[in-house]
Amino acid sequence: MGFGDRRGFHRKRDGTLELRLDPEEAAVLADLLGQVQAMVEPEESQDPDPLAQLVDVGPGERPADPALLRLFPDGYSEDDDASADFRRFTERRLRESKAARLAVADAVLARVPRLGPRTAVVITAAEAGALLGSLNDVRLVLGVRLGIERDDQDVTQAWAPEDPRWVTYTAYQWLTWLQSSLLDCLGNR
Amino acid sequence: MVEEAETAAVPDRPWVTVVWNDPVNLMEYVTHVFMEYFGYDRDKATALMLDVHHEGRAAVSNGSREEMERDVEAMHGYGLWATMTKDE
Repeated sequence: MGFGDRRGFHRKRDGTLELRLDPEEAAVLADLLGQVQAMVEPEESQDPDPLAQLVDVGPGERPADPALLRLFPDGYSEDDDASADFRRFTERRLRESKAARLAVADAVLARVPRLGPRTAVVITAAEAGALLGSLNDVRLVLGVRLGIERDDQDVTQAWAPEDPRWVTYTAYQWLTWLQSSLLDCLGNR
Repeated sequence: MVEEAETAAVPDRPWVTVVWNDPVNLMEYVTHVFMEYFGYDRDKATALMLDVHHEGRAAVSNGSREEMERDVEAMHGYGLWATMTKDE
């Protein structure tokens, strides 16, 4: 097999995990991670009492933004009250955890050279996990924005060539490839 | 003599975590999540994933209400769409 154009994630024979991205790819990914980060970061607690902040439970209302709802779905399918309670106690924790993961992904991207040829960035197992979850979160958000609702659905069917959604769709396809590339590395341990 | 009222011990009704199919999550990702979080081996994780994919949903764990809330929260953390329900 030729070494050729080794892109995305790659696991070396010695087990080291590497990431290779073009500067343009890194820039696109950094931008998308930033957008999702802005969506998920928990709001500052409104309560000035530090003890209340510690035990602050979030609102129980379902998010209005369908992309946010997809990231933080209801916990019960047939019980709105239980879902609201579940959301009150878990959404903030989930937001913090996803935001932290996105920050780790950001830090990895910051190591990707912004000039010159594509070079390998070595990543740790923990960073791989953060990248896996972050890539998935970005794809979930883009999926909602693109209107992807069913398996085997061709959302682009009626799009004109100049439809601006092609840009988002291309990014989504690329992220799917990148996430698959990482899963391939993680699956063959 | 007054008889003590008997209170039958009501067992905690078993609860179930259900993962639902969605068009974005990769099959290999879902399998990975089931292996990593539940500790299922690849065969079992793949079988559950295929259930989700073909049937639209699959029960992936069962236990107390608290345990299932923990599992559902974890699934949401991974980006899977999960809910919990009483195992009727």
